[in-house]
Amino acid sequence: MSETFQLDGKDIPFAPGQTVLQAALSAGHYIPHLCYHPEFKPHGSCKVCTVKIGGRTAASCTLPAQSGLKVESNSEEMNALRHTLVQMLFAEGNHFCPSCEKSGNCALQALGSDLGVMTAGFRHFYPDRPVDASHPDILLDFNRCILCELCVRASCEVDEKCVFALSGRGITKHLVVNATSGKLADTDIALTDKAMQVCPVGVILKKRVGFAVPIGQRRYDQRPISAQALDDAPRPPTGSGVCQACEE
Amino acid sequence: VRQVLIDCGAENTLAVQISGPSGVCIGANEFDRVLAFEDLATAGAFMVFDESRDMFEVAHNFAHFFAHESCGFCTPCRVGTAMLKATMDKIAAGHGTQYDLREIDQLNHILLQSAHCGLGHTACNPTLDTLKRFRPTYERRLKSLDFEPAFDLDGALATARRMTGRDDAGAHLKTETES
Repeated sequence: MSETFQLDGKDIPFAPGQTVLQAALSAGHYIPHLCYHPEFKPHGSCKVCTVKIGGRTAASCTLPAQSGLKVESNSEEMNALRHTLVQMLFAEGNHFCPSCEKSGNCALQALGSDLGVMTAGFRHFYPDRPVDASHPDILLDFNRCILCELCVRASCEVDEKCVFALSGRGITKHLVVNATSGKLADTDIALTDKAMQVCPVGVILKKRVGFAVPIGQRRYDQRPISAQALDDAPRPPTGSGVCQACEE
Repeated sequence: VRQVLIDCGAENTLAVQISGPSGVCIGANEFDRVLAFEDLATAGAFMVFDESRDMFEVAHNFAHFFAHESCGFCTPCRVGTAMLKATMDKIAAGHGTQYDLREIDQLNHILLQSAHCGLGHTACNPTLDTLKRFRPTYERRLKSLDFEPAFDLDGALATARRMTGRDDAGAHLKTETES
């Protein structure tokens, strides 16, 4: 790895094919992100990882690293943008941190806390999103969905089941379950699936284990999300990447 | 632009929207501008509005159009176009304030910086263009207050009234306009 680009004035080495975000995380440098996951192909939808390169902005998770790039990430302007994007996500769904089982383990909450988001700043949408409690062991609380597609990707690329999908468009876009009934009970999802582990917020929950780890001792209670960059360095996926269910 | 208006027989023209909702909206004092890549780039669309039109209503309509057209892939456009629509609805309903006009500016900034595609980048254009050129049509709808919540406190009690079967004066909150 001889080639480097600059991130906020620091030289970051990169391997061919890496994106700016992947190279930065591998080198232990944090760029805020939400829909990126170390094991999956970058998606580029949440836009939280947006950085500035030569006066233009781009999502660093999908921007190929190139020698000599001058990337500006930890600036007042970019953090203000991320602040507003996180506020938009909070206003879009129904997020009630104090009563949420994922509090302390939630990437959206941790990111908000890191960026100093104190209020949603915008009028809440209060969408009507009924929960799916049909499965004996798993609860789906769609109220908290941020449409990052991590469960969609995990279920398809690793579990090869394609249990989840996004449907609809615009603000009515929502997570759906791929079953004729639309209910999770009618899918072959299992507790051991990758899709069970990747939700950054509190949509996909295991039943009857609520608050097993007390609030205060959870992942982001220990260290802020920005101090956990290396945990998100790219690593090979556990699955084949080819889905048998949808042949994609 | 003036030549095109003459050629198509347009009379009493108030504004021209060039290149569709994402394009540029110009007023009568700019009709000598040129349709060209260097000045007013056009994708072939040329919409003429005469003086009977209310340019706020036009922009309001376009805001609904963008919210409807957003595919919902990226956060800024999915949420931003819905917020723009809600803000324009709020102004149309007579609850708008200066705060809402500033919020539109902020939304535009966010969408320009971070939307995934051109739809999001340009979603605020018709609002900003008409705001720049036809500001009075917005301002006469605004309340003079600096901030006015879009939340309707009395409206929120409708469910409770329905459940209790009450609809007397005591079950309603006095609003500012009534008092």
